[in-house]
Amino acid sequence: MIKKALFFITAFAAFSCQSAEELKSEQYFAEGYQLYTTNCANCHQADGKGMANLYPPLVGSKMIQDKIAMSCVIKNGMKDTIIVNGKAFSRPMPANAALKELEIAEIITYVNMKWGKDSVYTPTETVIKALESCRKH
Amino acid sequence: MFDLQYKKIYGTAVVLLITALTLWSCNGEKKKLPILGERDWVTKKVDGKDVVDTIYNQIPPFSFTNQYGDTVTEKIVEGKIYVTDFFFTSCPTICPVMKRQMTKVYNEFKGNPDVMILSHTIDPEHDTPKVLNTFAKDLGIEGDQWQFLTGPKENIYAIGQKSYLSAAQEDKTAEGGFLHSGAFILIDKDKYIRGMYDGTTEEGTQKLLKDMKILLEEYKK
Repeated sequence: MIKKALFFITAFAAFSCQSAEELKSEQYFAEGYQLYTTNCANCHQADGKGMANLYPPLVGSKMIQDKIAMSCVIKNGMKDTIIVNGKAFSRPMPANAALKELEIAEIITYVNMKWGKDSVYTPTETVIKALESCRKH
Repeated sequence: MFDLQYKKIYGTAVVLLITALTLWSCNGEKKKLPILGERDWVTKKVDGKDVVDTIYNQIPPFSFTNQYGDTVTEKIVEGKIYVTDFFFTSCPTICPVMKRQMTKVYNEFKGNPDVMILSHTIDPEHDTPKVLNTFAKDLGIEGDQWQFLTGPKENIYAIGQKSYLSAAQEDKTAEGGFLHSGAFILIDKDKYIRGMYDGTTEEGTQKLLKDMKILLEEYKK
């Protein structure tokens, strides 16, 4: 009887541990969705497909998996011409200086869980480290 | 007692019938769009009698340069209804949404000789005809039906504010450096404003598409 109870408690603990991680991913995803809608969807569109030859798509883009590049571009904007899915895009992307590290992590989480291969969130620490590296450039 | 109740029900039925008839006859009449903007009144003498005439806000003659470097005047919209808006190519906020929505208008009336689109830049220093040309191409727009216009800043701001009743001005504090409304403005063949729509929303765009069809109906004889 006691053995059985212990087994259940252990199983429950393991389960709730996993769901804490899941819960965080869900939170980041939900917050990321809101932030994406306000800050990114104007150009990249709600469906992430971009707009004609004006604004590049995120769907199918390899760059979204590069979390360092993503952090730097979201925070500081970019001016270079980039090739996405075989098409060249050269309009500058404005900086989003007001976005905090956590918010950037949430946006990257949303984009990569929605259109990339990620199944878990991108932690804020990744963004903090990334932003330090792009300051050096 | 029974009689009184019967009368009440009968009365209600009659009222309902009249209401239904009124509503039905309203629907039967063709819907007309209002004329928007400030209006003025003048008193004229017609056959020795004083007649009050209403003067509506009318779009005055203009002259701008389009994405092909050609001069464009009010003559280009002669005999056409048109939709107009204000934007700039480097705008980070509402313009991309407006252009996406305007593309829907463009696609809906593509090739219709009675319909035109005029998009004015409010950043003419940056948005030269060459820049507008690249922008139009990147948006997937070819031909003459959608004109991207640039010209002297004061002329663009003046026609925006005074004639199209749409805010367009420089504002260093605004994101991107310019303040402008997200309005789509519908102009009829006589240069009167017949509707203003929120070009940043799907609802606004759908309302515009509906009203454009109503307006085109007016000219069908």
